[in-house]
Amino acid sequence: MRLPGTQVALLEAASATETKTIAQLADELEEDPAAVTRAAFELADEGLLDVEEHVAEEVALTAEGERYRGAGLPERRLHEAALEVGADGEPAEMGRLVEAADLDGEAVDIALTNLARKGLGEIDGGAVLADPEARDDDPEAEALSAVAEGSAGYLDAGVLDRLESRGLVERTETTVRSVTLSDDGVTALMEGVEAAETVGQVTPELLTSGDWEDVEFADYNVEADAETVDGGREHILRQTADRVKDVLVGMGFREMEGPHADAEFWINDCLFMPQDHPARTHWDQFGLDVPPMESIPEDLLAGVENAHREGVGEDGDGYHSPWTPEVAKQVDLRGHTTSLSMRHLSGEAAGDLEPPQRYFSVEKVYRNDTLDPTHLLEFFQIEGWVMAEELSVRDLMGTFAEFYEQFGITDLEFKPHYNPYTEPSFELFGEHPETGELIEIGNSGLFREEVLRPLGVDCDVMAWGLALERLLMLMYGFEDIRDVHGTLCDLELLRDVEVVH
Amino acid sequence: MPVVDVDPDELRRLAGTDRDDEELKSDLFALGLEFEGETDDGEFRLEFAPDRLDRLSVEGVARSLRYQYGTDRGVYVPDATDPEWTIEVDDSVPDERPYVTGAVVRGLDLGEAELASIIQLQEKLHATMGRGRAKGAIGVHDLTMLKPAGTDDKRIVYRGIDPEGDTFVPLDDDAERTPAAVLSEHPVGDTYGDLVAGLERYPAIYDDIGLFSFPPVINGRRTEVETRSRDLLVEMTGTDQWTVDRMLAVVCYALDARGGQIEAVTVEYADRELWRPDLSTATKTVSHDRIERTLGVDIAGEDVVDLLERSGLDAERSDGDGDAGGDDDVELEAVPSHATRTAGPADEDGGADDTGADADETDDATNDDLAYDVEIPAYRVDVRHPADVVDDVGRAYGFNDLEPRYPDVSTVGGRTERSRLEDAARDVLVELGFEDLLNFHLTSERELFDRTELSPDDEAVGAREPARITEPYSEAYAVVRTWALPSLLMVLENNTHRPYPQDLAEIGLVAGVDDEEPTNVAEGRSVAGVVARTDASYEDAKGRLQSVARAFGVRLTTPPTDHPSFIDGRTAAVVLDGESVGVVGEFHPRVLVEHDLEVPVAGFEFRLDGLR
Repeated sequence: MRLPGTQVALLEAASATETKTIAQLADELEEDPAAVTRAAFELADEGLLDVEEHVAEEVALTAEGERYRGAGLPERRLHEAALEVGADGEPAEMGRLVEAADLDGEAVDIALTNLARKGLGEIDGGAVLADPEARDDDPEAEALSAVAEGSAGYLDAGVLDRLESRGLVERTETTVRSVTLSDDGVTALMEGVEAAETVGQVTPELLTSGDWEDVEFADYNVEADAETVDGGREHILRQTADRVKDVLVGMGFREMEGPHADAEFWINDCLFMPQDHPARTHWDQFGLDVPPMESIPEDLLAGVENAHREGVGEDGDGYHSPWTPEVAKQVDLRGHTTSLSMRHLSGEAAGDLEPPQRYFSVEKVYRNDTLDPTHLLEFFQIEGWVMAEELSVRDLMGTFAEFYEQFGITDLEFKPHYNPYTEPSFELFGEHPETGELIEIGNSGLFREEVLRPLGVDCDVMAWGLALERLLMLMYGFEDIRDVHGTLCDLELLRDVEVVH
Repeated sequence: MPVVDVDPDELRRLAGTDRDDEELKSDLFALGLEFEGETDDGEFRLEFAPDRLDRLSVEGVARSLRYQYGTDRGVYVPDATDPEWTIEVDDSVPDERPYVTGAVVRGLDLGEAELASIIQLQEKLHATMGRGRAKGAIGVHDLTMLKPAGTDDKRIVYRGIDPEGDTFVPLDDDAERTPAAVLSEHPVGDTYGDLVAGLERYPAIYDDIGLFSFPPVINGRRTEVETRSRDLLVEMTGTDQWTVDRMLAVVCYALDARGGQIEAVTVEYADRELWRPDLSTATKTVSHDRIERTLGVDIAGEDVVDLLERSGLDAERSDGDGDAGGDDDVELEAVPSHATRTAGPADEDGGADDTGADADETDDATNDDLAYDVEIPAYRVDVRHPADVVDDVGRAYGFNDLEPRYPDVSTVGGRTERSRLEDAARDVLVELGFEDLLNFHLTSERELFDRTELSPDDEAVGAREPARITEPYSEAYAVVRTWALPSLLMVLENNTHRPYPQDLAEIGLVAGVDDEEPTNVAEGRSVAGVVARTDASYEDAKGRLQSVARAFGVRLTTPPTDHPSFIDGRTAAVVLDGESVGVVGEFHPRVLVEHDLEVPVAGFEFRLDGLR
């Protein structure tokens, strides 16, 4: 018979005639008592060992009891001191005796109480009269020694009770298990028992040789923390972007792409932003130190210039602002992805478009802003537009209500707003999914005719924009966007954040 | 967005209401004026979109509230009396600032609050429509301090003078200075000096006593307006007549609200004479169809007129030409009333039952030709198209009373090929254990080149002329990155306190100057990865690259090459299907130490389109 090593050792150490406790056997085998106990029960399950349990009382000295065992019980010390000064005839003044017996604090009261109780003397009016006849041997003092030596079992229960009430000993109950060999155990031993080998790791050799059948696997501490495996994770902002893309594609939107560095014509002029608009200074946008973009179609350039100067339609007015093609051709980093919408609406990006169309992008834009917890120099803008023969404010509201509902944002409010490129324009407000407060979640509107007509679009187009980071912060409650986006990012935070679904 | 400070008590008085602060805030929000907090003096700080410049002062905000409450209806035009004063425009006026306008306002009783409000309006107009005084600058003077220069009529002269040619005592000063000296010695010189710098002749306005205004920089102290001033001269100079006339209209409406009597001024150019201020209304023809189409609801003709009047506009049924063309035979009364609404703030919920109706379902032929001639007051500088009038109708109607509907048009969605490729590559990198990163595209030449031992002139991945920002926000964000590995090194640098291994990857934009491109900037997507761990080596990077190549079914070879950022002999070109698209190698200890790294780092970077 092959058994694990501990079981073999235990089986050999156990006796069919003599009952041995686990503690004894653990001592004998130099094994951890817990391991021996476990082996004993495993052997009992096999019927090789009988395990008995009984409750044992243990008595031990408390710290105070230990102290008195060495220095003597306070009442005995007081008694001795009294005899020494001859207080067996004349009562001696108590203070003197206490000092001579080296007692203080509580010990004084203990000494006086027990002196009287044991009849070692009398106390009267602050003086002690000692009884010289009192016996030298004191059962309580002897019991202290007996407990310390482990032979408390032979003591009189009354004395122990007394010591326990004085707080000098502690009694505890423990379960003591003891084992004896069963008949099957004896038989097994006689037939021969071998220890199986213990191994740490399963190895290819172990598996191919077949030795695994004969080994015991060493126990691991399965509760201990292992080193965390930091697998890769898609960036949280990318996950959010993908989620947005999924929603929009599902709603019938096609994705747009186009240059990050683009002519101001596409970024601003097409959007009917006058060239002297305050947002077109270098304080707000990033101009690039490259030559101007010359390849803007002349008819588009002329159409947009005309819209700026004269307006669109019989009753349209233009801006009373300067307009030059030089400004329009200057290359900037785009301040919004509406430049992509302009390229698509004009037919430059994907050919002439016939209604209906839905387009979107989730792409980076650049703003010359002050860096702070909610503002970055570059961020992702969700941009979307719908082209149809006829669109109303209600269509716009319906589209956004549908989109935001996918992110748990409901009860949209539409605050009338002003954009140079849309009319009517709305700031979108929605209820925060967690806090319930009303928060701004986007900007939207119907593109103006001054935007659409020069691009050759004769139907209606509605559009909206929103910072992806804003959506992320709403969904996740991030407070400082710089923790997530950019080279100051904290890897630990990226590793800890929950996935988007 | 502009912020204007408004005293709530003053606002209540001018708007004729006793609404409490909270009610007032909600009324203002409905106008699009957002409460941003209070000033130390308890004034409301109101933020608003920069279209309604007539609301840049308490007088204008109050006027809007009176329309909202229904206290006022329709267009109001202040009466202006005939001119006594003339502004003569001299030939010497600088070509760069040829236009002037003006008005006299009499009989004002200005307290501190009124004066502060006028000054605020002036500043806010300068900041918005005046484009920082470049396009239009306002000067307000105490009329009684002016001595007319003419003999027959009262006249002041706008002319151009030599920068050193005359002296005056500017505001907040007590010394006589030339205009040139103001620029160099007076605090306003720093702020507005650029506006006249380089001009041969400086703009100046004279009365009989002499120079009293140096637009657009500063007025003279002699004509300074104080609380005891009762009669004012308002003059504006600028680069565009329309702009200064509109700014003047806004100021005149505000002073009229303060009880001033507007008196016209003659502006005498060499070739023409103007009466100013120009408070005449403009007319736009707006078709009924446009209104219904934009709002998506049926609406009765008389309701449109009512809504327009509640917006401070006047509307009459059109005589047939213009936006849509009306029909003389159509009577307003014949228009079906689907959404009858009455004026007044108490009606906010009225008519809600009708708002769900679809315009096209119940379209009425009689509406097809209906149109309105809408009269627009001079302070509405934002109305340039019939669509702007429709917006006013919508606001008065209450946009939030409209019922959303999902547009009934069908389209097919989809992603671009590049975006799908990028996502697929990112998935493969993440599956390989890379932490996907997202770094800024803007960085510095120091990070791109100096700290990686690279020079823009090298023949190596990342070495190219970067697109530079002309006026960067900070030196740390001055160029668009030419390669992505420096960003990953920066992330490693900022996370040395975090556990290793740190395997990081990013797919993102890189760019460089390229005159072959229409925008003169070549843009591309780069795939970059680093493996940072105590035993990282070339093999770790190459092994992962092999896996990426296999996932995309492209053949990877890695012929030896050199790159200043990597160790010689441990650097290879990334060649995918025969095309060299990147680099892989072990970073040189110099680069690692420069980034405070104490573990070896292997990395790669290649063009995303190499995986196509």
